[in-house]
Amino acid sequence: MSFDPSLPRDGVNVSRTHPLREAALLIAIVAAAGALCVVVIATAVDWLVPKLPPGLEARLFASAWPAAVGRDADDAEEATRAAAAQQVLQRLARHWSDNPYALRLGVMREDQPNAFALPGGSVVLTSGLLERVESENELAFVLGHELGHFHHRDHLRGLGRGLAFALVMAGLGAGGAAADVAALGGQLAQRGFDRDQERAADRFALELLAAEYGHVAGVTQFFGRLPAPDGAVEEALTGYLATHPLHEQRVEALQALAEQRGWPTTGALRPVAE
Amino acid sequence: MGDPIAIGAFLAFLLGTYVVGSWIEHRHYRTIRQREQRWRRLPVVTFRQVPAGWRVEDSGLVTGNVVISVDYFKRVLAGLRALVGGPVKSYELLLDRARREALLRLKQEAMQGGFHAVINVRLETSRLANARGGEGVAGVEVLAFGTGLKLSQPPA
Repeated sequence: MSFDPSLPRDGVNVSRTHPLREAALLIAIVAAAGALCVVVIATAVDWLVPKLPPGLEARLFASAWPAAVGRDADDAEEATRAAAAQQVLQRLARHWSDNPYALRLGVMREDQPNAFALPGGSVVLTSGLLERVESENELAFVLGHELGHFHHRDHLRGLGRGLAFALVMAGLGAGGAAADVAALGGQLAQRGFDRDQERAADRFALELLAAEYGHVAGVTQFFGRLPAPDGAVEEALTGYLATHPLHEQRVEALQALAEQRGWPTTGALRPVAE
Repeated sequence: MGDPIAIGAFLAFLLGTYVVGSWIEHRHYRTIRQREQRWRRLPVVTFRQVPAGWRVEDSGLVTGNVVISVDYFKRVLAGLRALVGGPVKSYELLLDRARREALLRLKQEAMQGGFHAVINVRLETSRLANARGGEGVAGVEVLAFGTGLKLSQPPA
């Protein structure tokens, strides 16, 4: 038998698609699927949340007072500030006629200025925020913003979306980088919903402010003193990734609203109770 | 993975492992083609019987074995494929390399053993699981084995 050797050919067993093209396509598809998943979940949650009565919410989350929150008994100054904030919160809430929540206020020891609306009607401020506030009007805007989240039940929406998305990811059994890519798409979609909620809460806060003080002064100055939401570098990199709209955009939207409703943007600022 | 820094790090790592991985792959293919050219006169065939006319003086087992690992880029692509479905193209080059390298090592062993041909050649493949308990693939093993023959008159 004669033997006629031939070399193996780089033939049908290897696809000709460029790997980077394949990577870009797959990342886009999986991220889009994650984003679609969040949109579907968010729609379902938005439909479901108004059906949950606030009374039931208050009972469900009665024990949800975070352990990190607690007045520091030694810090008399902070206790005074917290008590003053509590009063401002109650006064603002009077302008929200059908408020179903028994509001509570807590202070968390944290230098980053921030505020949270927790399920069940708890508002938590960081000590860093209380230190940075220079007038009662500014504080009222922050509290009004959190009341806006309660009004729109945003605290439940965010919770519901996060939970449902985590469940879907766990159900898919997606692990490692593939899960990360899907989660990335999901988070990008989620950020869109987050920012819509923040804008709505801003508008609600401005309405309460106008009703309480007769003007909406103090808000724009306050934004100027706050650090950028997610760090200045990241904000400069991409505004889309931020959970909150950029400060300038928020201020512009608020000024436009004040102009439209005829609320004065200047007026006497009340000092914070010391 | 939500903030831009994490996303950038992920993409940079992905691109980096692609560049390094394809460079290594390119180099590997170059030596594969060189050796295939150099050793092409040694018959390596899948016949189960000794071809008619060959006078066998001696025979023995010859094997060629290779383990090739998956780079991060390929693994991520395969992971994404696992969600979407379809051909896992990123592993095709990897397995092609592994098969051809295993056959080349089989030829090398045959020549070192003084064999003139290898018949009844078979390929076996097995997956090597990660040390982390089967999650992902650390590498793929391809084993080529066959019967080496010493002939009184080597094929031309």
